[in-house]
Amino acid sequence: MKRTLRNLPHRVLLTVWLGVVIIPYLWMLVTSLKSQRELYVFPVRYWPAHPTLAGFAQLFQSTPFPRYMLNSFVVATGTCVIALTAATAASYALSRLPVRGKRALLFVFLTTQLFPAILLVIPLFVIMRSLHLLNTYGSLILADAAFAVPFSTWLMTGFFNALPHELDEAATIDGCGRWQAFRYVLLPLVAPGFAAAGTYIFLYSWNEFIYALTFTADVSARTIPVGLQTFMGEFIIRWDLLMAGGVITAVPVIVLFMFVQRELIAGLTAGAVKG
Amino acid sequence: MQGPWTRGIRPAVLCLALCVLLSAPAFTQAQAPTTVSYWLWLDDPTDPMFPAVIKEFNDSHPEIRVVPQVIPLAQFHDKLVTALSAGSGPDASRFKDWWLGEFVQAGALEPLSPYIARWSGRSDVIANLWNTGRISPTGLIYMMPHQFITFYLYYRKDWFQQAGLQPPRTFDEFVDAAKRLTDPSHNRYGFGLRGGDGGQDQWLAFMVAGGARMVDALGHVVINSPKAVEVNQWYIDLYRTLRVAPPSAPSDAYAQVLGAFEGGITGMFAHHVGSSVLVTGKLGANAVGVVPIPVADPKAPATMATMAGNVVLRASKSKAAAWTFVSWLTERQAMDEWSRSRQGQLPVLTSLATNPFYQNNVFFKTSLDEAKYAITWPGLPGVGYVSAQLWQQMMQQALLGQISSKQMLDRIATALESK
Amino acid sequence: MNDARGALFRFTASRTRSDRASAYLLLAPACVLLLGLIAYPLLRAIWLSAHDVRLLQLGMARYVGGAQYLASWADPAFWIAVRQTVIWTVGVVGAQLVFGMCGALLLNKPFAGRAFWRGVALIPWASSSVLVALMWLWLLDSNYGVLNDILRRLGLLHTAFAWLAEPTTALPAVMLAAVWQGTPFFAVMLLAGLQAIPEDLYEAARIDGGGQWAAFRHVTLPLLRPTILITTMLRTMWVANYMDLTFVMTGGGPGVATLTVPLYAYFAAYKQLAIGAGAAVAMQLAVVLAGAVLIYMRLLGSVEAAE
Repeated sequence: MKRTLRNLPHRVLLTVWLGVVIIPYLWMLVTSLKSQRELYVFPVRYWPAHPTLAGFAQLFQSTPFPRYMLNSFVVATGTCVIALTAATAASYALSRLPVRGKRALLFVFLTTQLFPAILLVIPLFVIMRSLHLLNTYGSLILADAAFAVPFSTWLMTGFFNALPHELDEAATIDGCGRWQAFRYVLLPLVAPGFAAAGTYIFLYSWNEFIYALTFTADVSARTIPVGLQTFMGEFIIRWDLLMAGGVITAVPVIVLFMFVQRELIAGLTAGAVKG
Repeated sequence: MQGPWTRGIRPAVLCLALCVLLSAPAFTQAQAPTTVSYWLWLDDPTDPMFPAVIKEFNDSHPEIRVVPQVIPLAQFHDKLVTALSAGSGPDASRFKDWWLGEFVQAGALEPLSPYIARWSGRSDVIANLWNTGRISPTGLIYMMPHQFITFYLYYRKDWFQQAGLQPPRTFDEFVDAAKRLTDPSHNRYGFGLRGGDGGQDQWLAFMVAGGARMVDALGHVVINSPKAVEVNQWYIDLYRTLRVAPPSAPSDAYAQVLGAFEGGITGMFAHHVGSSVLVTGKLGANAVGVVPIPVADPKAPATMATMAGNVVLRASKSKAAAWTFVSWLTERQAMDEWSRSRQGQLPVLTSLATNPFYQNNVFFKTSLDEAKYAITWPGLPGVGYVSAQLWQQMMQQALLGQISSKQMLDRIATALESK
Repeated sequence: MNDARGALFRFTASRTRSDRASAYLLLAPACVLLLGLIAYPLLRAIWLSAHDVRLLQLGMARYVGGAQYLASWADPAFWIAVRQTVIWTVGVVGAQLVFGMCGALLLNKPFAGRAFWRGVALIPWASSSVLVALMWLWLLDSNYGVLNDILRRLGLLHTAFAWLAEPTTALPAVMLAAVWQGTPFFAVMLLAGLQAIPEDLYEAARIDGGGQWAAFRHVTLPLLRPTILITTMLRTMWVANYMDLTFVMTGGGPGVATLTVPLYAYFAAYKQLAIGAGAAVAMQLAVVLAGAVLIYMRLLGSVEAAE
C-alpha cells in the first residue's frame, strides 16, 4: 500500500506522458471511422454513433494510395539493401582492417549529417536530372542510401568494435578465411546492430519527405509522405479520407517499429553512451 | 541423371520459349495507340463527369489514348515546374492564365497559333477570349481557352431577408450589409474574405471593381498607383478595422471560405460558377443568391475573369495527338458536358453561351453578363510567382498589420516588372 | 600450441597487404555514395549559389559572384526567417531537452512492461513528418479540433480560435507538434546515459546527506553532460534544418509568421524558380550550423578532457 502510494506520482506522470503520445493517434483512428455526416458535428463527438469503414474503402478504391504504398515499399527496401551493404562493409573494414585515419574518416562520415537537406536537394535535383533518374525509384534510393550510410556505419562500427579480436583469431585457427570468419562468427553476433541499422534505414527512407517531394513529379514514383501531402491538398474538406490515409500510413510503421524497437534503441544508445 | 548437355539445354530452351512468348505481342499488334499524358486539377476530384469525358475521347479516337493525372491546384504549379525541369512532364496540361507568362518565357509551351489556324472550331470561340492565351509582343496564342470564370458574390438570401437588406451593388452597400450581418458572439460574420491560398483572384476582383488596375493601356505596371493603394486599404480594412470577416480570414483558403458559408458562419463570399452546384446543394437554392461583385462606381463596373485553358508542352513527343485532344475538349459537345457538370464553368463557345440552360441559370447568367467587362491577369512572367506565393505572403502580412497597403503593392509591382 | 601460434603469425603477416586492399575495397561503396551524393552536390551548391540559374532554364547560368548573397540580406523576409529560425531551434530543442529529461527520469524507474512502453513512447519519432502534421492540423482545427474543444469545456475559450492562422500562435503551435515528435528521441538517449551511471555514486550522495534534487544536480547532471551535449548537438542540427512541419502545416504563413531559413530557401528555388538564390541562402545556413558544431565539439572536448 505504502509502495503504491509512493509510486503514485510516478505512475500518474508516466500515464500523462504516454497519454500525450498516444492521443493524437487514437483521435486519428476515431476520425477515420466516422462517416461524412458525423465529421463536422459541433460540439465535437468523441465516438461516432455509426462507425464505418467507408473512408478506408474509398481510399483504396478511388485514390492512388495503394500505389503510394507500393512505391514507398520499393524505395525503402532498395535503400536498405544498398545502405546496409555499404555500411556493413565499411564498418567491418573500419573495425577489423588496417585503415589509416579511422577516427578521422568516421568523423567525416558523421559531418555529412550536418548539411541542410535543403542545401543538397537543389544540386542533387540537377544531378538526378542529368542522370535521367528524376521521377524514378533510383533517385530516391540513392539519395536516401547516401544519407543513411554514415549513421549506420557509425552504429555498426560500434557493434563490431564490441566484439573482441580473439573471436576472429579463434575462427582463423579453426581454419576459416576472413570472409568465413565474418559470415559465420561475427555477423550472427552483430545481428542486433544489423537489425537496428536496417530498421533505422528502412524507417528513414519510408518517412523521408523533402527528397521525395522534389525528385518525384507524378504518381508513378510518389511515396506515401508526398502522396499524403498531395492528398491533403486535394481532399481538404474530407477529413475522414485524410485520417484513413493517416491510419494506413501509421500502422505499418508502428507494427514494424514495435517488433524491433528493443534492438534499435540498444543500437542508438550504445553509440550515444560509448561516444 | 543430368549430363552437361542436358543441364545446359533445358534452361536455354525455356529462355527461347520465353523470348518468343514475350515478343509475340509485338508481332500481333498492328499499331499501338499514341499515348497522350494529360495533367489537370479538378475542384471536385470525385466528379464522374471527368472520367466519362476521357472515356468518350478514347473511344471515339482509337489511335490516341489519353492518360489523365489529377493534381490539386495548390500544388499544380510546383509539380508541373518540377516535372518539366526533370524532362518528364505531360504532353498536354490544363493551365491557368497566371502561369502563361512564366512558362512562355522559359520556352516550355508549344505555340498553338499554327494549329488553331487550321482548326475548324475556331470561329465558335468567343472572339475576345483568345486574348487570355495570347502573349504580346509576338501575338502568338499558347493556351486554348476551355473554361472561363468571372467572379461574383454569393450571399445568404435568408439572412438578407431577415435583416431587411437588399443585395449589395456598390462598395458602400456591401460594407453596410457586411456590418449589419456581423455578430461575433454568435460566430457570424458578414464576408468570408479569402486571405489564404488562391485568394488572389477575388482580391483582384475587388481591386478592379474599386477602380484599380494591374497594368494600364500601354502595358505598364500600375498596381501600386495611389488609387490601387486606396482600394487595397479598403479591402484590408474589411478585416482589420471593420472586422466583418472571420478571425481566420488571413489563412482561409477555398475549403475554409466555402465551409464557412455552408456552415452558416459567413453571409457573403466571392467565388465563381464552378461552386454554384456545391453551394446550392448544401444550403438549398432558396438560401443562396448571387450578384455581380459590388463596384465602387456603378458607371464603371469591373470584375476579374480567369481562364482555365489547355496547353501543349513543347517537350512533348506526341504534339499532334495532344493537339487533337486539347482541341476536342473545346469543341461543342465536350465543352457542353463539362460546363453542365457539378463543377462546370462558363463555356467559351458562342454557340453555347446563348443556350437556355446557361441563360436560365442565375449563376451562369450573372457570370456571362459580367464577362462583358471582366479583366484578366496580364501575361507578364512575374504573374506566376505573384500568384504562386508572393500575393499570399504579402496579403497575409498586410491583413495582420505587419506591412502597409503601399508596401504590399510596391512589392507586387516589383515582382511583376522583373524579368 | 606453438604451431598454431606460428601459423597464426604467418597468416596475419601475409595478409596485411591484401588486408589494406580489402579495406579500401570494402570502404569503397560507402565512400562512392558519399562522394557522389553529398560531397559533389555540396561543391555544386557552392557553384550554384554564385550563379543566376532558373529552374525551367537549367542550361543557362550566369555568373553573379556574391550578388545573390547580398540580395538575400536586402530582403526583410530573410531576416524575419533568420530570427524565427533561432526561436524555432532554441525553443524546440530546449523544450525537447527538458521534457526528454523528465521522460528519461520517468522511464529510469523500473516498472512492469517498461521495455514495451519505452517503445510506444518512441513512436512519434518513428512517424512520418507529414503524418505528424496531419494529426496536429486536425487536433488544432479551429472549429472541430480536440484542443479547442477541451479549452471550451474548461471555459477558457469562447470563439473559434485558429491557432495556425494567428500570427502570434502559429509558430508556437507548429513548435508544439515538433516538440511532441522529437521529445521521445531525447528521452531515450538520456535514459541510456542515466542507466550508465553507477548506483554507488547515488549511494555516496545519499550518505553525504543530500536529497533527490541534490543527487540530481551533483551526480546525474555532470555525468550526463556528454550525452546531453551529443544529443543536443545532433538535434540542433536536425531541428534547424527541419522544414517538413512548417511546409505542410502552414506553408510559412500566416504571412511570414512561420517562415524559417530552409523554407525560405525552398521557396526561392521552387516558387521563384531561382535555384541559385535558393542555394545562396542554404549555404549561409550550412555555414552557421558548421560554426555551431565547432562550438559543441569544443564543449564536448573540454568535458571529456575534464574526466
